[in-house]
Parts: sequence; C-alpha cells; structure tokens
Amino acid sequence: MNKKSIFVDAYAPVEIAYLRLWLTVSACMSIFLIFIEWLKENTIGMQLCFVGLLLQLVVIFSLPDGKTSWKKDSATIASGLLIICGVLGLYASPKSIFLIWQMSWFIIPGLLSLYWLTSEFVTLWHYSRIDRKTAEKGLSRNKIMDIRLSQIGSHVILLHGVLCVLLPVLWILDVAISPGNALGSEIGDAFTTEHFEKILTGDGFWLWFRNSLLVSLGTTFFGLCIAIPAGYAFSRYKFRGRDEAMFSFLLVQMFPGVIILVPYFLVMKSLGLLNSHLGLILAYSVTALPLCVWMLKGFFDTVPRELEEAAMLDGCNQWQVFTKVVLPLSLPAIAVTALFSFLAAWNEFLLALTFNTSNSMYTLPVGLASMISSTGQAWGDFAAASLLVSIPVVILFIVFQKFLIEGLSAGGVKG
Amino acid sequence: MVEIEFRDVTKRYEDGTEAVSSLNLTIKNGEFLVLLGPSGCGKSTTLRMLAGLEDITEGQVFIDGMCVNDLPPGDRNLGMVFQSYALYPHMSVADNLSFGLRMMKKDSRLPDEEIVSRVREAAKMLDLEDELDKKPKELSGGQRQRVALGRALVRRPKVLLMDEPLSNLDAELRHQMRQEIRRLHDQLGTTTVYVTHDQIEAMTLADKVAILDNGILQQHTPPLDAYHHPANDFVRSFLCRHIDDIVETAQQLTKA
Repeated sequence: MNKKSIFVDAYAPVEIAYLRLWLTVSACMSIFLIFIEWLKENTIGMQLCFVGLLLQLVVIFSLPDGKTSWKKDSATIASGLLIICGVLGLYASPKSIFLIWQMSWFIIPGLLSLYWLTSEFVTLWHYSRIDRKTAEKGLSRNKIMDIRLSQIGSHVILLHGVLCVLLPVLWILDVAISPGNALGSEIGDAFTTEHFEKILTGDGFWLWFRNSLLVSLGTTFFGLCIAIPAGYAFSRYKFRGRDEAMFSFLLVQMFPGVIILVPYFLVMKSLGLLNSHLGLILAYSVTALPLCVWMLKGFFDTVPRELEEAAMLDGCNQWQVFTKVVLPLSLPAIAVTALFSFLAAWNEFLLALTFNTSNSMYTLPVGLASMISSTGQAWGDFAAASLLVSIPVVILFIVFQKFLIEGLSAGGVKG
Repeated sequence: MVEIEFRDVTKRYEDGTEAVSSLNLTIKNGEFLVLLGPSGCGKSTTLRMLAGLEDITEGQVFIDGMCVNDLPPGDRNLGMVFQSYALYPHMSVADNLSFGLRMMKKDSRLPDEEIVSRVREAAKMLDLEDELDKKPKELSGGQRQRVALGRALVRRPKVLLMDEPLSNLDAELRHQMRQEIRRLHDQLGTTTVYVTHDQIEAMTLADKVAILDNGILQQHTPPLDAYHHPANDFVRSFLCRHIDDIVETAQQLTKA
C-alpha cells in the first residue's frame, strides 16, 4: 500500500495562492481601467482592457489544482496571450507614462504567471511527482516565500496609494516650476524659479504670511488655554449640566459653517473687530473648541485616576496634580490638539474672507484666492504660492511627529 | 504615638448604596492591621476614607486624636501603595521616590541634600540602587512594586496604607514581598493598614485583622483568634473553611 504522508496532501506551492490573489487584484484593476477608457471615450483601449480582463479571468479559473491535468496548459497559454495583449496595447496608441503603467498591469502579471507556472516546483506538484521529502522542502520554501511575496504585494498596493496622494502635489510642483502660466504641460519638461522669485519678492505674500501666522498662533494659544481646563473638567468632575454641555458643544458642529457666518459677522461688527487679528482669533478658537475639548477629554479619561490620587497623597494640591502629573502625561494629546487648531486656522477661508475687507489684513488663503482673479489666472504664481503656504504645515508635522507617535502613558500603572 | 480611630463611619454613595455602615475601629500605634473581606465588602472604601480620597458621609476619622474628616490627603502625612502601583510614568525612579518630599510645603520642606540621602536610603532598603535612573516602564513587576513601597515610605509617614499591593505579582514574588513588607514593618514600626482579600496574606502579615462583609465589621481581633474563635458564620466560612481547605490540600500533597 502506498502510504502518503500528510505533507503531500497539505502541500501546494505558495505561488498558486499568490497568483490567484494577485491576478484577482489585477482583474479588479482592469475593470477600473475599462472605466477610465470609457471616460476617455477610447474604444480601442476599452476593447483591449476587456480582452485583458477576460484572459486574467481565464488564468485565475484554470490555475492548476494538482488534480486536473488540462488546467496548467490552459493557464500557461492564457498568460502568454495576456503578455501579447499588453505588448500590443503598448504599440496601439501613442506612448505616455499612463499607457506604460496601464499595460504593465497586463504584462507583469502575465510574465509572472508564465514564469511560475513553468517553474520546477509547480510542475512537479502539478504532475503529482511529490514524495515526503519534496513536500517538506516545498513547505519550508513556502514559508520563506510567503513573507517576501506578501511584502512585495502590499508594497505595490501601497505605492499606488502613495501615488494617488502625491500626484496632485507633483502636478502643482510642476506648474510652479514651469515657465509661463499655462496648465497641462507634460510633467518635468522645463524648469524655472521665476514664480517663486516673484512671490517671495512681492510684498503681498509676506504680509499675508504674517497675518496668517499671527492668527494661527493666537488661535492655537487661546484655544488651548480654554480647551485644556475645559477638557480636564469634563473628564474629571461631575457637575450639573455636564452631559448637556458636552452635547451642546457638538450641536454647533452639526450645522454648516455658512449658517453661523452672518451672526458672527454681526457680532464682530458690533464689537468693532472686523479687519482685526483678534476677531479672527476669537472666531477660530470658538469654532475649533468643541473638537479640541472632546479630543482632550478623551485623552484625560485615559490618565489613570490613581496617578492623581498618588500625587494628592504626595502633597500636591489640585493645581499641582494637574501641572506636575496630568499635563506632562498629556503632552502628546495636547500637541495633536495644538496642531489641529493651528491647521484649522491656517487653512480657513470663509470667515477670513468675510471679516477682512482690506488687502493688508488678508490671511494667506484669502490672499491666494485674490491672486487668481486680479492677475488674470497666473497659475504659475498661484502654484508657487500654495506650495510656500504649505511649507510651515509640513515643518510642523515633522516637528510634532515624535509626539504624535509617542505613548508616554505606558508603564506607569501595571502593564 | 499614632492612633487611628473610626467612629461610626458611614459611606453612602449618591445612588443610596452603603459601602461602609457605621464602622467603629481603633488601630493602635505601630500596629499592622489587615482589612480582610471579599470583593465589594467596603475594605478599600474604608482605606480610601482614611487616606482622604473619599468623603466621609457620616461619622469621624481620628488620627492622633484629631478629626481629619476635612484635612486634605496630602496633609495627613500618610504613605499609600496602590494596587496598580500608580508610579508617575514620566519620571525616573529617583524622581518618583523624591516627588513627595519635593512637594512638601515651603516651611517644612527638607534641604536638597536631605532629600537625596533619604532617596538613597530608601533605594538601599528596597534594593533599587541600580534602577534609580530608569523610567517605571523599564522595570519588572516586582521592582515597580518596590518603588511604590519606597515612594510611600520615603516621607516617613505616620501611617502606611496598602491597597491590595501584591495582587499583581506572581506567587513566588508575592511570597518574597510579603516577607519584605513584614520585615520593613518590624524594622520601621510604622502603623500600617493593609487591604486584601487573600486570607493567607492576612494571617501571615497581620497583628490584627478586621474582617468586613457588606460594609459591616464582622470581627476585629488577632488573626489566630479569628481562626479559632470565629465570631459568626461569615467569618467561619470565609476564613476558617478556606484555611482548612488549604491545610487539607497540603496534607494530601505531602502524603502523596
């Protein structure tokens, strides 16, 4: 009797599983590509992608399972056709980065399946020429390859994600460093710093920059001064109307900002705070407050009560408990909240536009918007300015990154 | 001379549940009292009222003959060890130990050299000399426990309070720390109130046990006396039967 080991039954080359997974992903991509070709009204492209999709499906469904003998051959043929389809696509239309990327979604999976389907391990397994030793060897090989392949796969997916995020930025960058003020030229065809020079030497930008910086820093400082004690009180003390107050904070957030615009304007007008930094700081602090308070309350909730009790027994009064124990532990959360309110103020447009009528009081977003109409669509200048606007934000993120990640609270209480 | 007295102390929460009902208890100078009872019997609440972390609904608590009901926790001159240790995560071990000394009021604040020497003394006593610069998260469970103990002792408190301090340790460490705690008590003679639900801990550590159930004091007596002369059925089943079971198991093991 031929006693087969469990290894032989359990063993299948890891390539098969990965081919199934990756081809499914690329089939989904093909559907997406068909959609794009449809948007571009490109019939040939649509047909080509459709053929590619069909071939990918054929490969998926005829991947060898170690039992059916015809499957391996048909899968091999289909993957060969897939490569041909991709190469044909490359020659069918004028070359561009997009086309190369598009067709590589057919060529690379095709090449990969062709290579793996004809490889030694898959062939042996397919024709059931497996003994215990080969199966054991294959299993340990599977384990190593599994890790590597899953890393490659997830990196490919992540790279596409990164590209989706970065593409608009790259585009803006390209416009900013291209001569002239036109949109839509090829990426990276010419280089000039004229736009940056124009923006940086003009007075408008630096004035707006100063306004924005004052308003944003003021908002951060003022907002935190209120939000930290408020969040702490909401987290630690029980008082009448506590839950109602927490809820009413959210209530304001439920309405679109435009509704509050008119009342805000009237309030600012009667207080004489139009065209002033203070008016904007007040308005921004108040709008950012609910979220800040909620965020901080959530963090203060996680600071163990016993730490405060220990501090009380060590002789701290309420203020010292807060400043010496709770506050140092909450620095990461406070940093995040500060960053949030700074960003909100830095990027806000509507209130700044409404409250400030004189050019000298504009913040950066309003100033940028005014550039579009006044200089006749100077896209190059505009792009350069918007890149400059985002630099402080990027710097802030780099500086605060440490805080964002750091979990200071770990280890104090049993853990 | 430190004497603690609970006089008709009641703790009632807002929803009306009574955690402790008219407790009368006196703890003598230098005594090691263990508050023993099942979960939710009010033993921790009793301790927290003594510490000043819970308000007292009715009755009075006296330390040294003075009613401390309205004295803030920091002024009662107590040291407390929490079940979760509650070490300050952002401070080094040395800073954790010295925090209480540094927080003393201006007029009674010790000179810096004295603080340093006290910390060093405590670290030596608890075998923490090599860990002084570490943060709590770098320490093992037993070391954290010792830091918590040191932090409570370094102020030379009148009373040492411990709220189930050993329940997060494994059996071997618990055994070690139990001996350590008793040794420290014999050495320093600080009046100690110790909360636990572990009968063995109570029997081995206590000068006197106070057994509570449902917020009511059942028996207050030396541990052996409680075992030999249980005051009621609750004490009999909670203390005596439990210990008998352990003895029986131990005998079976040695026989086998």
